[in-house]
Amino acid sequence: MSMFENSKSIEKMNTNEEYFESRVDMSAPSLSVDEFLADEQTRESSTNRRDFLKFLGFSVAAATIAACEAPVTKAIPYLVKPEDVTPGKANWYASNYYDGNTFASIMVKTREGRPIHIKGNKDFGFGEGGISPEVIASVLSLYDSERLKNPLMNGAESKWSDIDGEISRGLRSAGQITLVTGSIISPSTQMIINSFAEKFGNVNHIQYDAVSYAGIRMANKTAFGVAAIPNYDFSKAKTIVSVGADFLNGWLMSNVYRVQYSKTRKPENAWMSEHFQFEANMSIAGANADTREMVKPSQYASVLAAIAEKVGANTFGVSSGDFKNNENVIAAANALKAFSGASLVVCGSNDEAHQLLVNSINHKLGNYSSTINLNDDINLFKSEDDKMNKFVSDAIAGRVKGAVIFHGTNPVYTHPKGKELGEAISKMSLSVSTASWNDETASKCKFVAPDHHALESWNDYAPTRSFYALAQPTIKPIHNTASAQESMLVWMGDANRAGRESKVYYDYLRNSWKENASTRLGAEMNFEDYWNLAVHNGMTAGPEMSAEIPVMVAGISKVTPKSLSGSGSFEIELYTKSSMGVGTQAGNPWLQEMADPISKITWDNYITMNYHEAKEAGYNVVMDQEHGASLAKLTVNGVSLELPVIPTPGQAKGTIGVALGYGRGENGEQIGKAAFKTKEYGGYEDKDGKRVPIGANAFRFTSFNSTFSYVAIAGVEKLADTYPIASTQFQLTSMGRTSIVKETTLDAYTQDHSDGYNLPYMLMTHHGPEPVSKFDLWESHPVEHIGHRWALSIDLNSCIGCGNCLIACQSENNVAVVGKDEVRRGREMAWLRLDRYYKSSDELAIGTKKEDFTYTGLEKNIDENPTVVFMPMMCQHCNHAPCETVCPVAATTHSNEGLNQMTYNRCIGTRYCANNCPYKVRRFNWFNYPSYKKFTEINPSQDDLGRMVLNPDVTVRTRGVMEKCSLCVQKIQEGKLKAKVESRPVVDGDVTTACSDACPTNAIVMGDWNDTQSSVRKASQDKRAYQALEEIGVKPNIWYQTKVRNHSNEQLRKHQQAVAEKRKHDIEKHAHGHDEAHNDHH
Amino acid sequence: MKIAQSQLFSLRKITMFGFVALTLFTSIFTGFSQAGEELFNTHCATCHKVMDNSTGPKIQGVRKKWLDGGSTEASLYQWVKNWQVAAANDPYAKQVSEWSPTAMSVFGFLSDDEITAIFDYADAYTPPVAAVSVAADGGAGGATEEKSNNWVWIILAIVFSTVILAVGGVRRQLRYAVEETESGAAQNRSYGDELREFIIKNKIAVGIGTLVLILALLVNGYFALNEIGVYHNYQPSQPIEFPHSIHAGINGIDCKYCHNSVEKSKSAGLPTVNVCMNCHKGIQGNTDAQKAQISKIYTAAGYDPEGAGKYTGQGDPIVWNKVHVLPDHVYFNHQQHVVVGGLDCVQCHGDMTKESTARVTPVEELNKIEGNIPLTRPTLTMGWCIECHGSKEVSNGTLNTLNSGYYDEIHRRLSKHGKSLYQRMLEDEKVTVKELGGWECAKCHY
Repeated sequence: MSMFENSKSIEKMNTNEEYFESRVDMSAPSLSVDEFLADEQTRESSTNRRDFLKFLGFSVAAATIAACEAPVTKAIPYLVKPEDVTPGKANWYASNYYDGNTFASIMVKTREGRPIHIKGNKDFGFGEGGISPEVIASVLSLYDSERLKNPLMNGAESKWSDIDGEISRGLRSAGQITLVTGSIISPSTQMIINSFAEKFGNVNHIQYDAVSYAGIRMANKTAFGVAAIPNYDFSKAKTIVSVGADFLNGWLMSNVYRVQYSKTRKPENAWMSEHFQFEANMSIAGANADTREMVKPSQYASVLAAIAEKVGANTFGVSSGDFKNNENVIAAANALKAFSGASLVVCGSNDEAHQLLVNSINHKLGNYSSTINLNDDINLFKSEDDKMNKFVSDAIAGRVKGAVIFHGTNPVYTHPKGKELGEAISKMSLSVSTASWNDETASKCKFVAPDHHALESWNDYAPTRSFYALAQPTIKPIHNTASAQESMLVWMGDANRAGRESKVYYDYLRNSWKENASTRLGAEMNFEDYWNLAVHNGMTAGPEMSAEIPVMVAGISKVTPKSLSGSGSFEIELYTKSSMGVGTQAGNPWLQEMADPISKITWDNYITMNYHEAKEAGYNVVMDQEHGASLAKLTVNGVSLELPVIPTPGQAKGTIGVALGYGRGENGEQIGKAAFKTKEYGGYEDKDGKRVPIGANAFRFTSFNSTFSYVAIAGVEKLADTYPIASTQFQLTSMGRTSIVKETTLDAYTQDHSDGYNLPYMLMTHHGPEPVSKFDLWESHPVEHIGHRWALSIDLNSCIGCGNCLIACQSENNVAVVGKDEVRRGREMAWLRLDRYYKSSDELAIGTKKEDFTYTGLEKNIDENPTVVFMPMMCQHCNHAPCETVCPVAATTHSNEGLNQMTYNRCIGTRYCANNCPYKVRRFNWFNYPSYKKFTEINPSQDDLGRMVLNPDVTVRTRGVMEKCSLCVQKIQEGKLKAKVESRPVVDGDVTTACSDACPTNAIVMGDWNDTQSSVRKASQDKRAYQALEEIGVKPNIWYQTKVRNHSNEQLRKHQQAVAEKRKHDIEKHAHGHDEAHNDHH
Repeated sequence: MKIAQSQLFSLRKITMFGFVALTLFTSIFTGFSQAGEELFNTHCATCHKVMDNSTGPKIQGVRKKWLDGGSTEASLYQWVKNWQVAAANDPYAKQVSEWSPTAMSVFGFLSDDEITAIFDYADAYTPPVAAVSVAADGGAGGATEEKSNNWVWIILAIVFSTVILAVGGVRRQLRYAVEETESGAAQNRSYGDELREFIIKNKIAVGIGTLVLILALLVNGYFALNEIGVYHNYQPSQPIEFPHSIHAGINGIDCKYCHNSVEKSKSAGLPTVNVCMNCHKGIQGNTDAQKAQISKIYTAAGYDPEGAGKYTGQGDPIVWNKVHVLPDHVYFNHQQHVVVGGLDCVQCHGDMTKESTARVTPVEELNKIEGNIPLTRPTLTMGWCIECHGSKEVSNGTLNTLNSGYYDEIHRRLSKHGKSLYQRMLEDEKVTVKELGGWECAKCHY
């Protein structure tokens, strides 16, 4: 009131002429508000602004009232409930996965008949159920809406009866049939192919792999007389030397080698393997190596020859060059010799000469009796490179007559001359593909007879000579597809189509198992029991094939390693990413968005170039949302591609790497919606009316020289443009913060009792230094020892950075896919991230600063050949959670089981919690990902079919709420309930998280910390155990275990000893001083 | 709230009418003893129909049939009580036992009077054709007339106020015209001017009136908002007028026979059509109304009761309207409550033996159920859940009295490491769900 009084009095005080004039002016404005807002036209119109506002107000009110009406929900029970389906309960089925490149034994989780999640079959599976991200993500590809729904004839949808007739007639009159397949590891499929060949006579069966390992088979043929790839056992190898082989990601059956390798990496065990890696690209195996040496692909032969020389093996006349004096080569050779008969040398090259040297070394060391089993050889990777190359050149030259059938292979994409092959195929009289997508090859074929997805079909596999696996369908075929085996039987005239419920191949399979049962059957078991057990376990073991040392063929003449083709200043080595592999599932958005474990880049492939070399050459080394990567034009043997350059620490100088598997769908083929570039606000980028593929096809850089080669010489030309890059981590180092990553060496771990590598953080008090864990700013939560306390333990030594956990978490928890543009803005939604830290030159080891460090140096002076640590990081479920105290609406609270609970329906999206989270693991839903148009192409939730993959036990979050790792609370509740119903305490194994289930190396362990017998409790009390950012006192429920390298680092050891000494001294000094003070008082 | 009440109104009215009409007409036209009908429905209707052969032969005129066949009434009564004894002694009964391979149950507990009552009922029974068709039509009408009729009132209000304003406008124009002709000066005042004048004249009254109006709106609005999403007494129409009262009530079928995943899963499970067919293959309904409802099961199952009694393979699932609807962000598990918690269905769903189609039983009714903790919040709201969790005991006394290995371990941990906490929990001599974390968000929301 008084304020108004005042203003009035001021007005009164100022009642002069000017004031009145102004009032007069105001009363007669030259342009009234009404005039301004409403000219003649609007006044004439029937609805003026005010009416509009009234209508608006009314409709808002009406809409509000209308929205109060609850919708009627429908419930539709089964007509006849399948016996084994209980609504609301998951069923798990044992099955097997094979995509031509990866074989894995899996467990498939189905809900109400829909497969929704895949994990490894750790109980019975091949190699203890080792899996890869591609295997886990394949459940989403099942629901890809661009998968073929009907057979195709000349590109148009057709009927099975129509195409079968045409194909059968065509095959019978073809005269010559070429059957191009991926490596066939299915015994029953092989039988069908055999009878197919018998039936039609002139059948040329070519097995062709996207990435060939023919060099190994040829070398074994030359050396031991068997064209085989042996079964490796890394778990027995005390010394592992890999020359360019990423045996933890991509190389042969790496999904199984991971499991074996991790068993040798536990420092508390009797022995820990020592791993030497000589390579050009920074691979995942290289990142895990104890000793890593950067060498060019052209030097692999010399490295192998040098090792061979040192261990006394035949070098077949290959020169070791300078490497005989290389200290790492000498160390590797000594370590190999020290563990003769229990070591392993592998090489990633597809050159027979390299593999012969490897055979020579392993043979000399006697490894064929333990780590290498040539009797139990693997059936995968039977690529017949020469036959394939002849077929392709004949086809291009128009010399291939008759019919051609493609099954489980996509040579138009994967063959270096794929484009020309594609043109040749479209000119052939009869061409058939059994692809599930109308992919690069299928779209050139006259007929496409789409095969079932692996999760829809029966099949059998023999990954090795002694292991038989069964794949069983977990869902009825979604589309009008048919198993390729059935198609072949039909075309031969041996079977009739039987629709979607067809049992043709099932009957065939079962019969063939029955016929062969005698050799595989366990004692005193009838076939029914045997079959049921095999289906239940997903496998059955054949007679054991024990390893024995083969006799090396005498008098192998001198060999010459092939020289690299092409010209330029760089050597290029092609590799496969753990997410994309050879590109089979390029349309899978989970895989596209999975950050590469090394580069942390999503949605692209790129040129990896040595960090320092790139910097010197003027390439952009600082990248973020605004600053993209520099583009470069890469030319190999006349083929050019433009790709961004990613400066990569650890890349050998003078070499570059490019990932295969990208650039799928160059003609906009229907290979999945997420395989193509999208625009900022949704919709596809468009080039000549076609969708634009993500990345570039590096298969064009491969070449044939008796085998397919994945190394070459490349010309690199820097372009002026930059290219936006979506990375989830631009930081390279941990900035020497010992509270994030702790690393030590094996000798320090075993010999020192000072534990200088893992000292608790101390706070200085007037009582002297006290561990930070003693202090509580808040009243502590009653979780310790009472009820449950869910906890994770993550062993940084076992974590190899494969990325399985990332995809498993996404699949289990309905984590949204956000696309490249959003990732670029730092808005990825992953609940679990895999941090990667390189060592800086200002660090003694990752997490330990040198005395003369500088902060800029910590980030910028990356080692030329740095060590790498992977660190899975998720919500730490702090018992003193900083996020909980700042939430204004108590949407994030603590449970008495130690969980940091996130309640979406309470969250109002202030994002205070994310700001206050020291681990930066909280994710905000900036958009309604399941409905906003920007995400239509990439988010499977926007697709009627894609939605089927969602886990019904986990809420799909909406816009404006925060989310984060829940420690798979739905699985905790399920496990607890199971224990309650069975009236027993919760024991280890009842409760797991998606990440711990998926972890092939058991680096992530989930359990009840309050259970004194649980493995997580034991791990948390291990001397390697620490908690991330311990000093801030948030008391996480996640423990990490120090990384231990089997390597000696005198400087690091001394430093850690000194730290421990000082700590001891500090405590003693204070205790002493305190005593004195104490005495003084007396 | 609105939808629920209006639906309730129409549905209840119609079903009530249907039932009243059914009972009324049948009792008037047939004039049987009430006991006979009840006995028949309870014991015989599973296999017998009054006027048609079913699993067993028709009951109407059965006494005459036996006498005509040369048997005695005593033998018939013996047959009902234990057919095997009758068949052993009476050649006619032996002949009857070969009528169908399906053996009749033994009803030794029925007295002769009760059997007589059943036969009297059956003989006096005539199908109430006209009456039932009315009820059936009413039922069908109820299904379509699902919408709330609030909108009718709103539209009417708008129409009336438009009319009033329009009439007022005409009146005003006329008054101006009169004024203009009388005084020559047009007083062109709008409604707004008049209103403003009125407000200025009655400042205080209008001010207080507005304040009261605003407060009333706010208070009403607050309560209205609290009712959003509350399914108070919600009983949507269903494609089949399923009478729980007959199945669970008269026939005494256990809830878990049809809702059979209640002990295995989070979902209790709606009975699948094959479960219905277990009984309804034989029970085809005695009245036309029953037949009309049961035939919907046959349509769904693709079953042809008239012809060969075979499945055609052309099924069509029944689309029920879900009654107990929880929002998507709520996780509820029946197994936890029924198996671990030991709750009886009736405690949350009310006494279904007296209900027709399912409804959300209001909390006031649930409170009357023996053993239930009186709650104040509406059924199926979060308040209702946590109110119960707040006072419902997991154990009366320490947790190790439950004979559960799971709670023994929790007891052990509490008594070893959390004595004072445990004592606080046990102050009321019980451990409640809340005290074990039953009020925590992530127990139900994830």
